[in-house]
Amino acid sequence: MAVARPQHQERTRRPVPWGHLLLYVGLSAGAVLILMPFAYMLSTSFKSTGEVFRTPIQWLPSELRWENFETPLREHPIGHYFRNSLFVGVSVTLLNLLTCSLAGYSFAKFTYFGRDLMFGLVLATMMVPLASMIIPLFMVVKSLGWVDSYLGLIIPAGTSAFGIFLMRQHMLSIPDDLLDAARLDGSSEPRIFLGIVLPMSRTALSSVAIFIFMWNWDSFLWPLLVATDEQYRTLPLGIALFESSYGTNYPQLMAVAFLAMLPVLIVFLVLQRNFIEALTMSGVKG
Amino acid sequence: MQTTHTTTSKLGAAIWVEPARRRFRLTHAQQRSLWGFIFALPALSFFALFSLFPIARTFYLSFFDYSVVEKPRYVGLDNFQDIIGDHRFNESLLNSFRYVAMTYIPVWILALLLAMALNSKIKGRGLFRTIYFVPVVMSWVVVSVIWKLIFHRMGLVNTLFLDPIGQSPRNWLTDVDLAPQAIVIMSVWKEVGFFMVVFLAGLQNIPSDYYEAARVDGSTGLQLFRYITLPLLQPTMLFCSVIGLITGLQVFIPQFVMTQGGPVDATLVLTLNIYETAFVFLDGGKASALSVVLCLIIGAVTFLQFKLYRSRALS
Repeated sequence: MAVARPQHQERTRRPVPWGHLLLYVGLSAGAVLILMPFAYMLSTSFKSTGEVFRTPIQWLPSELRWENFETPLREHPIGHYFRNSLFVGVSVTLLNLLTCSLAGYSFAKFTYFGRDLMFGLVLATMMVPLASMIIPLFMVVKSLGWVDSYLGLIIPAGTSAFGIFLMRQHMLSIPDDLLDAARLDGSSEPRIFLGIVLPMSRTALSSVAIFIFMWNWDSFLWPLLVATDEQYRTLPLGIALFESSYGTNYPQLMAVAFLAMLPVLIVFLVLQRNFIEALTMSGVKG
Repeated sequence: MQTTHTTTSKLGAAIWVEPARRRFRLTHAQQRSLWGFIFALPALSFFALFSLFPIARTFYLSFFDYSVVEKPRYVGLDNFQDIIGDHRFNESLLNSFRYVAMTYIPVWILALLLAMALNSKIKGRGLFRTIYFVPVVMSWVVVSVIWKLIFHRMGLVNTLFLDPIGQSPRNWLTDVDLAPQAIVIMSVWKEVGFFMVVFLAGLQNIPSDYYEAARVDGSTGLQLFRYITLPLLQPTMLFCSVIGLITGLQVFIPQFVMTQGGPVDATLVLTLNIYETAFVFLDGGKASALSVVLCLIIGAVTFLQFKLYRSRALS
């Protein structure tokens, strides 16, 4: 589509860009299809149960029924699940920022025996699905006594191959001269890391933070196994559970889904430039 | 390096002197290496305990009869023999590959088209990019719950698209043929924005001089695409195909939430089969063998893609 535009201009040089118009029509149609499920969810969340399946579709509910939001929050521990997800998500993200930036720095700027092998192993784990290692992983966590605890939800997710990869790619671009100059000045290695490397890696750090938080917010299989007690359940589990037991109360279900979606949506809309940069960085350099 | 060292007599002296000195003080280079290793240590310990050990243990357990609660008993290759000819495994293998092909081929094509459309200097492209990217950041569980309602007999798809053209409503999620398609439709919707952004980044890396030079030479739009865009986009395409296949073969949540692998195993994918074998049928040995097979499949597929890419790049 894009390449049709210059061709068009070459040949006709007409003032009305018909190619552009066609592009807009196509892009807008696609955008409507992308947004429609969200609109459907939002509109359903304010409907009465009787209105949900009315044909033809009634996009505007007869009135805004806020009780669809209030009832599940009051009668089910959705708020608690929400806080659990938030706490686990933030802890996992902070832990990852620490481990990934350190390891990324190490893999990018130091040479030592077995470095490339270890980096290779780390990358190879990206190919292994969680389901493939879940039984022994569960046994490890169980023997540590972390089943049904926040530790069990947080610590196993404490580092990530993708995060390390992203940090390493970024830190490769930090000039060696800069680090050597600091060494000549007598700065210790931890000081160089904290004082020079970390401040120079803000973009990469925010990218890692965004991705890790987003993935953790979506984490489902691991909490499903490790959080059997209601007290430690996270939001995805809560929603799946709510769906399987109250799945026919669609307005309430959609209200809960909307609440669960909100934090990530807000983070994305505020930091979307970073989201896209993070992807660009991983894709192009990878 | 090594050959020059071994032939000189200096080497002998070096061996004797170095250890004695090391005992007291590390050289600067050694100190630095040590710091490098220390920096990697936290991440490496997490990996060792929560990834590498469990993976190794899965390979080990695949040779055992293991009911998760009892002690494992060595049975050799029995689990693997069990898998061959097991209809649940065959179904799940087929379902997974069908899911990957049906989802990611349309996703790549749509994403590339969108990326090319947004790479031109049209107004509002930032807004379009944001809109198409929104489903990517949504969690799979939330998205699955929403789409379960959309595919309801009285849901959005039936009432908005099928009803006006006189089609009777379909039972998307309880029909053997339609359920996999429903999940594919949802996945295309969710994934297209991710690959669009990756392609967009790839396109922006192509210098615009190339296009201008070719245009001066009188190339048509199609030729520009065929001889400049496609070849220069190959590294991006490799990335997209590797990521697509890996995530596609690891898919779990939509099938778990929307159809529980049903109806009649029509959406039973490899990971769901592993999960059910382990935690519903409590057959840890067989689940481990299935895991090993899945890892080998993903490894082989990834390897093949790099191989294919290299041979293409050379020719």
